[in-house]
Amino acid sequence: MKLDLITLAGNKFSEEVYEVQLPTQSGPIAVFPGHQPLITLMKTGVISVRRKKGDADSDLEVFAASGGVAEVTPEAVKVLIDEAEHSDEIAEDIAIEALRKAEEMKARARDSLEIEKAQMLIDRYAVRIKVAGLRRHKRR
Amino acid sequence: MPATRAIKDRIGSVKNTRQITRAMELVAASNLRRAQEAATASREYAATARELLAHLKATGDTDDQPLYIERPIKSRLYIVVSSDQGLAGAYNSNLLKLFTTRLASDKHEGIDSHAITMGRQAGSFAARISRLKVDGAYTEIPDAPDQHYLQPIVAGAIKRFLSGEIDAVEVLYTNYVSTVNQKPESVRVLPAGFETIETPDVLQTAIFEPSAEEVLSTITIRLIESQLLQAMLSAKASEYMMRMMAMHNATDNANDLIGDLTLEMNKARQAYITQELAEITGGAEAMK
Repeated sequence: MKLDLITLAGNKFSEEVYEVQLPTQSGPIAVFPGHQPLITLMKTGVISVRRKKGDADSDLEVFAASGGVAEVTPEAVKVLIDEAEHSDEIAEDIAIEALRKAEEMKARARDSLEIEKAQMLIDRYAVRIKVAGLRRHKRR
Repeated sequence: MPATRAIKDRIGSVKNTRQITRAMELVAASNLRRAQEAATASREYAATARELLAHLKATGDTDDQPLYIERPIKSRLYIVVSSDQGLAGAYNSNLLKLFTTRLASDKHEGIDSHAITMGRQAGSFAARISRLKVDGAYTEIPDAPDQHYLQPIVAGAIKRFLSGEIDAVEVLYTNYVSTVNQKPESVRVLPAGFETIETPDVLQTAIFEPSAEEVLSTITIRLIESQLLQAMLSAKASEYMMRMMAMHNATDNANDLIGDLTLEMNKARQAYITQELAEITGGAEAMK
């Protein structure tokens, strides 16, 4: 099936794949060819892609993703996504630093709006660090 | 040769100006290419979102979605997309002319006007109009704004629309129609209303998670963001195109001026030589 990760800045990924795991608001799901048509909201998390049937877990392509909507049909998956970064694009040290700052921001926040904003940043960077960690794991 | 010295200095200074305008033309040309690429890249996102929306509409759930409800307009918010820098021909003045017309017609109809300005030019213009309430002024707009840049602007507008504080939101920007035609235009983003495209049949039986209403409101917000983005990218491309043309004309003018001045300088030098020769021969004649 065809997978498209579409951001406002253009297509991030557009290839034939065997399996894709998506972080939806009702929990992570794995989509294989022939899936029931589904339109679902996404949350911040990890998208992992298995290109061919026999590929090992260590060969998965991983993206840190935040927000968006996924459209699943039996032949294709289209994900409209706010932000998607491939594991190779993430600078782990920068993400760790950003996470620390976001946590500080949350500690200093005065109202619920600020807490919400800080929490959003924390989720975003936590996922990036996780994805960067997966990449390290893969190289070993 | 006192007369030629002054002209020579002027030629020098015009040449310096020409160098600057030529450099600005080249910079605008390369930025233009990038702006056009960014505009194309964001198109697929909007197309896919429209396809989803068409399907949602078919299910009939858009009818009572608050973002789509039209009500009598008592106050209107304009998001005005201009540039930070001038020297782009009529780019900013054309846009602000349209803005002025819209403000005048709002005044006539008794509608309160609010504005969020993008870019310094619109900012300083809006600040001078006493009737207009300026709710935000953004400067140093990035060439390719991302979702994090747009989200707070759109979220703020949506919140005020839903609370009833404002009844309509319009984006004023310069549409990049073609290389020779850039036209100031306005597009209404709230209440939302989108042209939709045909839904593929496979989606007819699709399930929605968590619910059709939540998917609908998310997609609508995303589409509004992408509309604003498209407007901003189109405005950027227009700005660079018009700056490129303005600087090209300035370079041409400098060339003409240099030609005229050089001719004038040669004439002055020739006149001086002729006069000197006449004086010498006159002097020699007198010695005889």
